[in-house]
Amino acid sequence: MSAMSGLAAMGVYVPHRRLPAAEIEAAWGTSAPVDRAAVPAADEDALTMAVAAGREALTDWDRDPTAVTQLAVATTTPPLAEEEFAPRIVSALGLPSDVRTETATQSTAAGAEALLAGASADGPALVIVADAPGGDAAEAGQRVGAGAASFLFDGDGDATLLDSTHRSRDAPGIRFRERASESVTGLDITTYERETMRELVSTAVEELSIDHEAVDAASLYQPTGDIPHRIAGALPYNGAAIERGTVVDDVGDAGAATTAIGLVAALAGSEPGALTVAGFFGSGSSAVGLAFETVTEISADLAADVESGESVEYTAALRERGTVGKADVAGGGAHVSLPSWQRTIPQRYRLEAGRCPECDAVAFPPEGACPECHERVEFEVEPLSRTGEVVAVTVIGQGGAPPEFVELQRRDGPFAVAILEVPTAGESEGTARFPAQLTGSDSTAVSVGDRVTGRLRRIYSVEGVTRYGLKFVPR
Amino acid sequence: MTDAYVIGAGQSDFGSFPSESYRSLFDDAFDEAIDSIDNDFDTDEIDEAFLGTLGVGGRQLGLSGPAVTEHLGLHGIPTTRVENACAASGYALRQAVMAVRSGMADVVLAGGYEIMTDMSGDHTKWWLGVSGETEWERLSGTTFAGVYAQMASAYLREYDATVEDLSRVAVKNHANGAQNPHAQLGFECTLDDAMNAPDVAAPLNLYHCCPTTDGASAVIVANEEAARKFSDAPVRVAGAGAASGRVGLFQRDSLTRIPASETAAERAYDEAGISPADLDFAEVHDCFAIAELAAYEDLGFCERGEAPRLLREGVTDPDGDLPVNTSGGLKSKGHPIGATGTGQVVEAFSQLRDEAHVQLDDPNVGLTHNVGGSGGGVTVHVFERVDGGDL
Repeated sequence: MSAMSGLAAMGVYVPHRRLPAAEIEAAWGTSAPVDRAAVPAADEDALTMAVAAGREALTDWDRDPTAVTQLAVATTTPPLAEEEFAPRIVSALGLPSDVRTETATQSTAAGAEALLAGASADGPALVIVADAPGGDAAEAGQRVGAGAASFLFDGDGDATLLDSTHRSRDAPGIRFRERASESVTGLDITTYERETMRELVSTAVEELSIDHEAVDAASLYQPTGDIPHRIAGALPYNGAAIERGTVVDDVGDAGAATTAIGLVAALAGSEPGALTVAGFFGSGSSAVGLAFETVTEISADLAADVESGESVEYTAALRERGTVGKADVAGGGAHVSLPSWQRTIPQRYRLEAGRCPECDAVAFPPEGACPECHERVEFEVEPLSRTGEVVAVTVIGQGGAPPEFVELQRRDGPFAVAILEVPTAGESEGTARFPAQLTGSDSTAVSVGDRVTGRLRRIYSVEGVTRYGLKFVPR
Repeated sequence: MTDAYVIGAGQSDFGSFPSESYRSLFDDAFDEAIDSIDNDFDTDEIDEAFLGTLGVGGRQLGLSGPAVTEHLGLHGIPTTRVENACAASGYALRQAVMAVRSGMADVVLAGGYEIMTDMSGDHTKWWLGVSGETEWERLSGTTFAGVYAQMASAYLREYDATVEDLSRVAVKNHANGAQNPHAQLGFECTLDDAMNAPDVAAPLNLYHCCPTTDGASAVIVANEEAARKFSDAPVRVAGAGAASGRVGLFQRDSLTRIPASETAAERAYDEAGISPADLDFAEVHDCFAIAELAAYEDLGFCERGEAPRLLREGVTDPDGDLPVNTSGGLKSKGHPIGATGTGQVVEAFSQLRDEAHVQLDDPNVGLTHNVGGSGGGVTVHVFERVDGGDL
């Protein structure tokens, strides 16, 4: 496998809100399947989390995003059942428009396919595994979480993929989602399920051509915290090695993303020479084993997002997830067409302002006459910083949102809308102002003078089409 | 060039009237305007009409102006529908004044109408907050109240002002509106009421926001000859100023002033040959409490940051040096978008003829100030009492 690229950078994103086991237990009178589960906000989905994690890896990398030649994304919950979402990630992350994109989906093992595609790419490749599965609140809904992990393969890297293995078995009914459904379910045939997962993953991992006695950490398929230990029962790995790669009790069952986040956690803090293993499982069923050797010490802070977070109540979790609070506002009126929105994507994703060639003023959005000299000019592209200052702010009270934001408000509560003043990103002087929605649990307490920073989120959905753009969170 | 005069002005009740239409409400306003003309007046004298409406609800989106005048029986006259959001009928009046001054028409009808309360909750949402920079303001989640609330947040930060000062606008305007039988919210409120209402868009609470309103208003503008013939006490349009501004609040240099108001006021004062100190009263565009504070400063009633002091000292109360919004303002009287501008003229006309519900002592010069959106279009008109012998 000498043609493989090394792992040069990684990133993790886990939603800040977490539903603790005590809330689930109080609601259902049962013991919770996980210690806590990440709850994606009403304006988050697999795409926004993928962008958040992707940015982490790109920030950690020493090259420009335009150097990426391949993007491989994996999820079981693309925002739409049919329609590419990789192009939105390309746009939001500023990757070049000739980047090769591929999407792996339909299985919790999708992340392994994306990792293999990235590792064998000809040039720098960004791999993102992001997921936010749903499930019946009384069943899989008790353990589902959300999150994303990203991996940048380039050159020798800090870690090398030593080997990969595959296993397949015709074993249905373990975990599936019917067409047009948002809920994963299973037949709950305990012994059959455990045996399939254990046998398939452990034999795939065993086949990896490495010294299994020397493995330091492993991320094994982890819908709940006990499964990796069951899988490892057939392997010579100690409990500490499994714990290093097990994140499900912080993240919840994040579908395809859990094993990938676990892999980042397993690699985080590893010393040169360390061996790390991943064992992916996809129901249906398949398993993929991956083995990495660390070349250069890897930062231990990588998985900090996994362990942070803020507890939320059960009703808040149900609302944020959209289990309750979905809304469709009838009627129409003043409406911004999709092409009008699409035309402004460089501004909405990347804050591209314009510089007036006549008077040097900064214009945002960069269209129409110059705001200072009022001349009709061709603006030069002038990107803005993603961090700026609140110069005016209000909180739109519950029930007061414009129609496009009614569902968001039902699910996420009152939201703040600010006018921001943001400096240009480059060397040249200048600021621009624009209105933007704030997001995150502290955002309604923001006041004039506070600093905020941009995050790609869902802005609103109309007629089935979701508009994405930057919202801002308190610094 | 002849001067333009207001010889009649009237309005419908402002409120929520499920059994009325935009046309039936305009009939009421028109009838009151015609009744207010001193001498016998045949509506055949009306040469042309300019009618303002935003068209909330989309009902008669095209040709609603002719639909109104034909319904009134003003058969065949040219009618233009004017759209400049909440300043629609301020601009309709401006068109009427221009038509008369140019000599193209002798007598012109200016007015406005809006129905805002007969739709389902869902439909209503689509039709509010449509007069900002929609692609950026509304699609960041801002409402109309939200934009003015942003303005308020910046004002409270920049100047020595508090939420109590915003609430004083509500107390004053409700006290005035309680005397106005046409007012939608014709009741008094205490400072305590106005401080402790639920938030609509912080820092603005319910008492800092105008209601949504059904209503219509009508003004009859005449040249000098017609004014002399039909009126014993015509009101001269001494100054007509108007200006445009960037439609989005975020696009302007200042978040605490409305530049188009400043420019429109300068133009109106220049034409009238007066300064703000010469005013005896003003009807200003108080769609939200912060808008009244900004208006005091934009219109030159006081220096920047001094508006709260005017309210605290009662300068703009009916017994103060410069009473503002003796009609009750948009806050208490109501704000039927397209009808608001000429609705303000009804109050100015009444004050200058000693016929107002909160009548001031012999006022000679008054001003109306009508703002579209958060300041994308503004009209300011200065009106003067004309002593019968002078005309």
